[in-house]
Amino acid sequence: MEDHYSTAYRGTRDFTQQNVHTANATGFGAAADDYAERGIDLNEQLIRNKPATFFLRVNGSAMIGAGIFNGDVVIVDRSLSAVNGKVIIAVLNGEMLIRRYEEQQKKVRLVPATKHLAAIDIDPSAEFFVWGVVTYVIHQP
Amino acid sequence: MKAIVDCNSFYCSCERVFRPELMRHPVVVLSNNDGCIISRTDEAKQLGVHMTGPYFLAKKLIEENNVAVFSSNYNLYGDMSRRVMDILKESAGERNVEVYSVDEAFLTIDNLSSQNLKIFAEGMRDKVQQWTGVQVSVGMARTKTLAKLANRIAKKNKTVSQCVSILDTDEMLIPALKQTPVGDLWGVGARYADKLNSLGLCTAWDLRNISEEWARIHLGGVVGVRLVKELRGEEAIMMKDELDTKKMIATTRMFGHTVTELKDLKEAVASYAGRAAEKLRRQKSAVNIISVFLVSHEKVDGPKFKHGPTVSAYNILHQPTALTPDLIKPAMILTEQLFEQGKKYKKAGVILSGLVPDSSIQGNLFSNERNSGRFLMDMVDNINFSMRDDVVKFAASGTKRDWKMRRDFQSPRYTTRWDELYRVS
Repeated sequence: MEDHYSTAYRGTRDFTQQNVHTANATGFGAAADDYAERGIDLNEQLIRNKPATFFLRVNGSAMIGAGIFNGDVVIVDRSLSAVNGKVIIAVLNGEMLIRRYEEQQKKVRLVPATKHLAAIDIDPSAEFFVWGVVTYVIHQP
Repeated sequence: MKAIVDCNSFYCSCERVFRPELMRHPVVVLSNNDGCIISRTDEAKQLGVHMTGPYFLAKKLIEENNVAVFSSNYNLYGDMSRRVMDILKESAGERNVEVYSVDEAFLTIDNLSSQNLKIFAEGMRDKVQQWTGVQVSVGMARTKTLAKLANRIAKKNKTVSQCVSILDTDEMLIPALKQTPVGDLWGVGARYADKLNSLGLCTAWDLRNISEEWARIHLGGVVGVRLVKELRGEEAIMMKDELDTKKMIATTRMFGHTVTELKDLKEAVASYAGRAAEKLRRQKSAVNIISVFLVSHEKVDGPKFKHGPTVSAYNILHQPTALTPDLIKPAMILTEQLFEQGKKYKKAGVILSGLVPDSSIQGNLFSNERNSGRFLMDMVDNINFSMRDDVVKFAASGTKRDWKMRRDFQSPRYTTRWDELYRVS
């Protein structure tokens, strides 16, 4: 039975019982030894598909209403499809933009989260494609 | 079935991922020191930009046509390559993928019907494109040589092939063999092609139809037989042929500008010695011959420039070693020996030879330094490797490197540096 090669992050998956430091404590072993687990790994939680995941930095306030601020880092997954309501990285006429994707009855719009910018209706003939879908935002308060 | 998946204009393709406005634009990528063109897109090719040509010769053409130019960004390309290979492993199974170079991999695909082969190839092509932005071409056939032939056909006319070519039936294969000149075959260089042509073998089809015995006698023994076998659909080149460990390790670089001071030259040579030593330790070898060479700049004659004479000297060490300080010391002495005041140096290099496996270093009963030296080196290597920059350097290597390579058109390291991420508005 061949193991399927998965592109999920493996990270600290290789934690074994040898890694439990207190197991060899020279004093008293801890009752906690039996419950020792590897720690929480952000890579594992936030990166579902490593080869398709990229980090981009947000410039400006186009999506401030969505809680995405200037200087934040967004985690972008290129293997996900754009779905109505998702924040995506779009490429329109060669320019990369971070906007919310809206699709109503085959009509596509790119919507900012600020009143200072207008929504963009995507003409079917326009040079448009989805670069990736934003999965998480890293913000330093 | 064998498949070869290779990226189209790989380095350019990587740059385009973060510069989508260059999708249909001519792009080139330059080699170390911005010397030669090492990658070009189809658009640039159509304009007449030559592969491996020196940049300065193509500069006029490039500027007139607004070709986008990039210095090589190996951090980016290496990272993108890993992504592509991971996707191929996910599609075909890890043990069925043989990574051949930074942008090519051989795959073994079994148990798929003819129809499903096409679906699989197209699926893989689309997946790599979607997940990474890199465009690939897929060639599939019964052997590696034929797969490479198929891949060539896929690339020749991308609009027609859609970057996929599967030659699994005679109906597809035979016309392909007939239209492929022998010089285009994998493993056939210009000279071998000339020899084949002189024997009346001009296409892959001609070659496939000769007998193995004839090939053995007239086409260079085993090499010829292998080629003929592969063309006939019999695998003769095994997957994962063992790579020979290197017999010689060299680190050589051209300088960004001419160097005239001995201390700068020594700094450069010391850093090359350090690099070479790292490569040495990585393959668990040691050396006892170290040689240094220097190339000086000859008088410039109009638009041409000439490499001056190369001077070199070597030193045979008492004991084989893999420790950087033990290699820097003789390298400094050799540099001092070779240096001539007044000469303008353009290039330097360190060559380590006489490689032996690490374990053969005889313990010197009277010296205690050996063991701790090696331990320290391993730590230094690990730190350097993980920090991706030579954070820990030896004093002789200097801290300010004025002679470093020219990289005027470098793009940010978008995928390996937190502070160089792409900024999106």
